[in-house]
Amino acid sequence: MRGLLLSSVALATLALVVPALADDAKPLAGKSITVLLPSPQAANIAADFEKDTGIHVDLQTLSWDDIRPKLVTALVAGTAPADVTEFDWSWTGQFSAADWYRPLNDVIDADTVSDIGVAKIFTVNGNLLGVPYTNDFRVMLVNAKHFKDAGIDKMPTTLDQLVADAKQIKAKGITQYPIGLPLSTTEGASTSWYLLTKAEGGDLFDKDFNPLFLKPDSAGYKAMALELQMLKDGLVDPASTGLKDSQINDTMFAKGLTSIMISGEPGRLGQFADPAQATVAGQVQAILVPTASGTTRSYGLPEALGIPKVSQNQDAAIAFVKWFTSKQFQEANYANGVLPTRTSALAELSASGKLLSGDALVAQAKTVEPLFAQGTPPWYPQFSSAVNTAINAVAKGQVTVDQAMQNIADATKKAMTE
Amino acid sequence: MTSVALSGALNTKRRAASNGDAVLGLLLVAPIVIAMAALVFFPLVETVWDSLHRVNPMQPGTPFIGVANYVNMLSDADLGRAWINTFIYVVIAVIVETVVGILCASLINQVRVGRQWLLAAVVLPWALPGVVNAVIWMWIYQPGAGLLNGILMLFGLPFDNHVWFNDRVGAIIAVSVVHIWRMMPLTIVIVLAAMQGIPDHLYEAARIDGASRRQMFFSITLPLVRSAIAVAMTNATVSAFNLFDEAWVLTSTSADTRPVLIQIYLETFQNLHFSYGMALSLVVTVVSLLVSLIFVLRVYNTTRYD
Repeated sequence: MRGLLLSSVALATLALVVPALADDAKPLAGKSITVLLPSPQAANIAADFEKDTGIHVDLQTLSWDDIRPKLVTALVAGTAPADVTEFDWSWTGQFSAADWYRPLNDVIDADTVSDIGVAKIFTVNGNLLGVPYTNDFRVMLVNAKHFKDAGIDKMPTTLDQLVADAKQIKAKGITQYPIGLPLSTTEGASTSWYLLTKAEGGDLFDKDFNPLFLKPDSAGYKAMALELQMLKDGLVDPASTGLKDSQINDTMFAKGLTSIMISGEPGRLGQFADPAQATVAGQVQAILVPTASGTTRSYGLPEALGIPKVSQNQDAAIAFVKWFTSKQFQEANYANGVLPTRTSALAELSASGKLLSGDALVAQAKTVEPLFAQGTPPWYPQFSSAVNTAINAVAKGQVTVDQAMQNIADATKKAMTE
Repeated sequence: MTSVALSGALNTKRRAASNGDAVLGLLLVAPIVIAMAALVFFPLVETVWDSLHRVNPMQPGTPFIGVANYVNMLSDADLGRAWINTFIYVVIAVIVETVVGILCASLINQVRVGRQWLLAAVVLPWALPGVVNAVIWMWIYQPGAGLLNGILMLFGLPFDNHVWFNDRVGAIIAVSVVHIWRMMPLTIVIVLAAMQGIPDHLYEAARIDGASRRQMFFSITLPLVRSAIAVAMTNATVSAFNLFDEAWVLTSTSADTRPVLIQIYLETFQNLHFSYGMALSLVVTVVSLLVSLIFVLRVYNTTRYD
């Protein structure tokens, strides 16, 4: 009888305690947040997050180009476009100056910040404005089969070798235009020129934001001249003046119409390995960015998650940011073409052999620099726009390289003074 | 006494009826007045007011800066180029849409069987969204597998892999063609409707007098559809000033083809110069209305009966 009594008391206690423990594990269960990310995203994000935390997520996706206008219009009106939003590296200067996003230093632990090296790109005046979730940096992607068919055994490490290899591929008739290089008035044209400027051994600005690309022997100048020369040599499709980087990368490279993607995105390797998405599946590999000196360089264009100050669900939003940037989720999300920002996740994927071109990516990741050592300036959009407008005009033969460089410098100076 | 009382009663009744009509009239126009005030006039006044302030989220406060935004336009080289492009679009679009639109309307007016089907087909490009039209034409202009290069090559012309947007003249014409393709159906419909309202007996009388078809077109048809042409030209002008989709889809922000509306978009949403964008929008609206007014006044002066 006594045993029965004790068992009943124990069961009753358990019945009361277990739900309470469950509530402690999911303290924000029942809350609901909106999340705005670029498309495509994995289909099970919302369900998995709700399963883990009990928080309901309304996940909205837009094409990357459409996100910024949506954010700006909502934020300038004092409303939250979503509780958690995309936060690109190139917006850091503007969004910081506008004071639209809450600093995350007090909610993201130091180990996480240390594990995510590119987090410093999103740190302005000590404030961490976004937690990077996709490790976009530049490598070079090549169609190894095209190289092999052209009789090239060794991948290029210098720019001269790269051009020579491209000429050989063209001469063998493997591709008509071996190099994929955007020359349109789009961000992709700007980012390619930044990479080639790094590859030529220089930078865009000095520490006081004085342009370093005006002299003919400067890296930026030589990078622009190289782009023009590759176009004139028939290594780049003349139609690139009207093609976005997505068209050049998604369509032309994926179909084997080009052999070299100058400004390669590591996240695309998964897409190019999938026969359903690319006719070049099994032929593509990443190589270290060839440079003038032979010592590779690269820079980061990571994307982060940020929380608008006007978000009404800050706690749940923070929970989502932590979950989405956790090591476990980042490793799982690599299957969806999102390269982890955590060094630990990248290393584990590489060690397990799951990371395509893992050696090259890990080696390149170690060389990634911020494009602007001082932090992305608020006038970056005007600068980028001036860069791609100048590239487009040079490619169309409307201005010389010298005039193009001066145009970029003038537009930047004007933007700085506004 | 009786007649005075009767007259007074009638006056009271008329006043009551008149008041009732006035109230009814006010009630009937109230929804549109309220809607216009809320959705057009208030935002317009707000925009004018904001354009006189510095509205830039990257800078604190919104101080009054007077007409500085308007003065800055005078030294904005990018804007100047965009204005030139826009005026070129307007001239090309208004001339081609009007001339070809009138000719097409005249031809369709001659069709007696299946006119409604023909009209439905003609109206299709106008019914499609601008972006869809532009994407269709982007494929047509494609350098490699594009339809246009393919057709030209069939005639033995050297257009293999020709890039239509690599020179400014070609690019502006290519963008204009897409805009005209979309907007000309409206000109055709407006002018055709006016043509169908011309009484047949005018043409019969002209035939009896021995007038040729050309004389009938210039002496009867054109004068009687002038007001419709003015409406069509006004619409063509305003829509050409508002050209955005075609240039954005076909050439993005290329300086060669960038119209003033894309410049406004860049200033506002890329550079976050909101009040400058507002000032630009107001100037575009005023210029567009002024140019349209020229057509309207010209037609009013030539068609009024007094």
